Amino acid sequence: MKISVTINGTVYEDEVEARTLLSDFIRHQAGLTGTHVGCEHGVCGACTVQLDGEPIRSCLMLAVQAHGRSLRTVEGLAGSDGALSPLQRAFTEQHALQCGFCTAGFLMAAEALLRARGGAVSEAEVREALAGNLCRCTGYEGIVAAVLSVAEAPLDAG
Amino acid sequence: MSGSGLIGAPLTRREDDRILRGETRYLDDITPSGALHAAFVRSPHAHAAITAVRVPADAAGVVAVLTAADLPAVAARYPVMEPRDSEVRAGEAHPVLAEGEVRYAGQPVAIVLAPSRALAEDGVELVDVEYEVREPVLAVRDSDLVMMGWSARRGDVAAAFAAAAHVVSGSYALPRLIAAPMEARGAIAEHDAAADVLTVWCSAQDTHRPLAQLAHILARPEHSVRVIVPDVGGAFGSKGVVAPEVAAVAAAALALGVPVKWTEDRLENLVGAYQGRGIEGDLELALDPEGRMLGLRARLWADLGGYLLTTTTVPPHTAGTLITGCYDIPAAEVQVRGVRTHRVPTGPYRGAGRPDAAYMIESLVDAAARATGIDRVTLRRRNLIRRFPYRTATGLEYDSGDFERCLDLALGLTGAPAGPRADTAGPAAGAVRGRGVAVFIERAGGAWETAEIALTPGGRFRVSSSSSPHGQGHDITFAQIAADRLRVPVDAVALRFGDSALTPAGVGTFGSRSVAQGGSAVALAADELVARARERVASLTGCDPAAVGHGAEGFSAGERTLSWAALAETVAEAAGAGGDPEPLEATARFQSANVFSSGAYVANVSIDGATGELSVERLAAVDDAGTVINPLLVHGQVLGGAVQALGECLTEEAIYDDAGQLRTGSFLDYSLLTAAEIPPIITGEVQTPSPLNPLGAKGAGEAGAVGTLAAVANAVTDALGGRVVAPPFTAEKLWRALGEGPAGSPPGPPVETTALPHTPSAATARRVRVLVRRGAPALALGLALGALAARGRR
Repeated sequence: MKISVTINGTVYEDEVEARTLLSDFIRHQAGLTGTHVGCEHGVCGACTVQLDGEPIRSCLMLAVQAHGRSLRTVEGLAGSDGALSPLQRAFTEQHALQCGFCTAGFLMAAEALLRARGGAVSEAEVREALAGNLCRCTGYEGIVAAVLSVAEAPLDAG
Repeated sequence: MSGSGLIGAPLTRREDDRILRGETRYLDDITPSGALHAAFVRSPHAHAAITAVRVPADAAGVVAVLTAADLPAVAARYPVMEPRDSEVRAGEAHPVLAEGEVRYAGQPVAIVLAPSRALAEDGVELVDVEYEVREPVLAVRDSDLVMMGWSARRGDVAAAFAAAAHVVSGSYALPRLIAAPMEARGAIAEHDAAADVLTVWCSAQDTHRPLAQLAHILARPEHSVRVIVPDVGGAFGSKGVVAPEVAAVAAAALALGVPVKWTEDRLENLVGAYQGRGIEGDLELALDPEGRMLGLRARLWADLGGYLLTTTTVPPHTAGTLITGCYDIPAAEVQVRGVRTHRVPTGPYRGAGRPDAAYMIESLVDAAARATGIDRVTLRRRNLIRRFPYRTATGLEYDSGDFERCLDLALGLTGAPAGPRADTAGPAAGAVRGRGVAVFIERAGGAWETAEIALTPGGRFRVSSSSSPHGQGHDITFAQIAADRLRVPVDAVALRFGDSALTPAGVGTFGSRSVAQGGSAVALAADELVARARERVASLTGCDPAAVGHGAEGFSAGERTLSWAALAETVAEAAGAGGDPEPLEATARFQSANVFSSGAYVANVSIDGATGELSVERLAAVDDAGTVINPLLVHGQVLGGAVQALGECLTEEAIYDDAGQLRTGSFLDYSLLTAAEIPPIITGEVQTPSPLNPLGAKGAGEAGAVGTLAAVANAVTDALGGRVVAPPFTAEKLWRALGEGPAGSPPGPPVETTALPHTPSAATARRVRVLVRRGAPALALGLALGALAARGRR
């Protein structure tokens, strides 16, 4: 069947099988390979994208379910001038990534958290919100520090 | 930044920009046109004979189903490493596809090729394999098939034990672990028939080990194989040997004449990728009345799984050689038996024998402290090696270190008194607290790497390294080393990695060796380039090369100054004039004996009396990685390794049932720690430069993974009053141990002396705990959709 999905402001129309996962549609049909597939059973969070602004696991959704909806992926995070967002820059500054395979998922989850909370989050909240994403390299410290460094009014520093 | 300020500078990485934009190229992001996709028929049994493989004549969408008999390109089984002084049964090498029998559940039996992965997976369902099921051997001490044996002996061990005032013994076991890099494995193979070059894009730790393994298996000359390693989503030791599936993909590409691609999915990775640890040991320590160590006996049994992969023999050998730890033990007798079981093979996983040895010897030293009544820190101080180089009873030569400084710093970082069980009485009612101290040493570096450096237009430099990254940050680290030597800005140096056609040959990225070996090769190549540039300047100016100065501005000869850019221009001008351009280039190969990183870790823990749940309250991690090039990245390596090891302490274990079936075959069952579960980790640093390389570097890639388990295990034993429990320290095990009360002196038997069997309730508790702790509503759906996801790819 034919579906139409808006990703980062661009409309993608293509034929999909009923069983095609949204993650595979994004990667192999829309060609946006910045979203990664880590487990395909909804645990690791590497494939996290934003569906109408909310973070979701694109491996747990069928492509047909996204018909007519709007997605944002890691390719849509940088500004229109190509500049990295403050959150993206903080990831580099805090050494929040090593192999980089999980990074897109963390960025999409953290960006949604900061947006939903108006930037005011505590360390405990950041850790809890990111507990649905797995990173095998960093031990998470840099990731948490990066998110907190761009939070507008951290509730605690500890 | 340029000049000497670069060594030790915490510079951020340059590859981050494209990663953060989603512009990376991991294996699955590459698909050559016309490629067929592979899926594998895998054994459902741990041990069976294959009596027939039936393929339907007309399987919709399937292009080919190939078994071992259909892959003529496969000329041999895996090459197998034979560690020094070991006896290895190379005949037990892993076959590419099953040859008449299967020895573990998940072993690849046939490769199915189709235009899409989904169709290939559909095809797998249609292949009918007939098995004659046999009894699996699962307990290592039940196995009578030793695939790897190694022993070492020095001194009069019998006399040491006869003369001892105290003899302390302990039995310890580490479960199997799954490396679980976030990107699973995979490869694409394409054969250029005209040139007869087989190109393999492979998610691997390096280029030249996969190349050598594939050349051996396919009996091809090495120059006819090209390995390209694209961006790699983590490895932790698990991508140092090409998967049998990768060899099958290469053989299928040769057989069919089309590109073939295989992207491993998570369920395949958990079942079929080689695992780590899986080792147990009985140790005995002889001490004099003052607690001086006189002799050590150690017998280790390693679960090697059904077959030998190339490096399966290495971790147990490493564990055996490091079993004397940081201590001056004059007499020792060590025996390692690596046995065959009917589980997936084991192999290197972060630490690869080092954490095993540290855990066992450090647990035994704590048992000795309890038995002798000597303070555990005092006992350690009394026996630490203090003179280097030091030759161990097992034949290693430790190059340098300052173990006591590491120990003092770690104790200082945790603040509380250092005495035995000083803070065992916890403040919370019903909680018991404990503290664990561990010192460790790890073999790093060793063997050789190569670097090429070239001056390019504009006074820039291209460095090609045989050492290759998968998250560590080789690029900025090596650029810092080169720029420091060349006295240029770090941004003038660009690195090239990961393509055997474009980068020089080397050994590979593993065992915390990249800076010491690969970095030293870069340093030497840069030095050689400076020497050649000096000669060039001398010949251009008529100056004596010895009188040519080298600094941040370039080169000075008398009144004249020539920048690197000006030198590059002279090369270009010579080329333009039709002369011999004589490019300014240099190559260096660096080789050395092993270097030895070390450290001291201290952990404070509490155990909930009602539930048995373990909380690591604080971990102090002090590492001596020699000279540090980039402390930002070393800190990241230490933390990452420590958190992997905390997973080993708290949740991680590959659990098999009595039939040899993996019961932890999803990320809900094989539970990795999340951001919400990480205790405060305080790091400290000691730098004793290695005398064996020009940088003074050792290694930090495995450090966190080596010291953490030993410290946490000793803290748990401390909290339990001397009772030893095998990791992972799950709530159920600790709750049971609390019910049994403190151990006498010497300590009682381990609650579990082997990793199996486990009761079903343990797995259930683990699953519930993960769901509760993560608290994400999507997870329940994840369970339900797991099967769908596996079926519905692409």
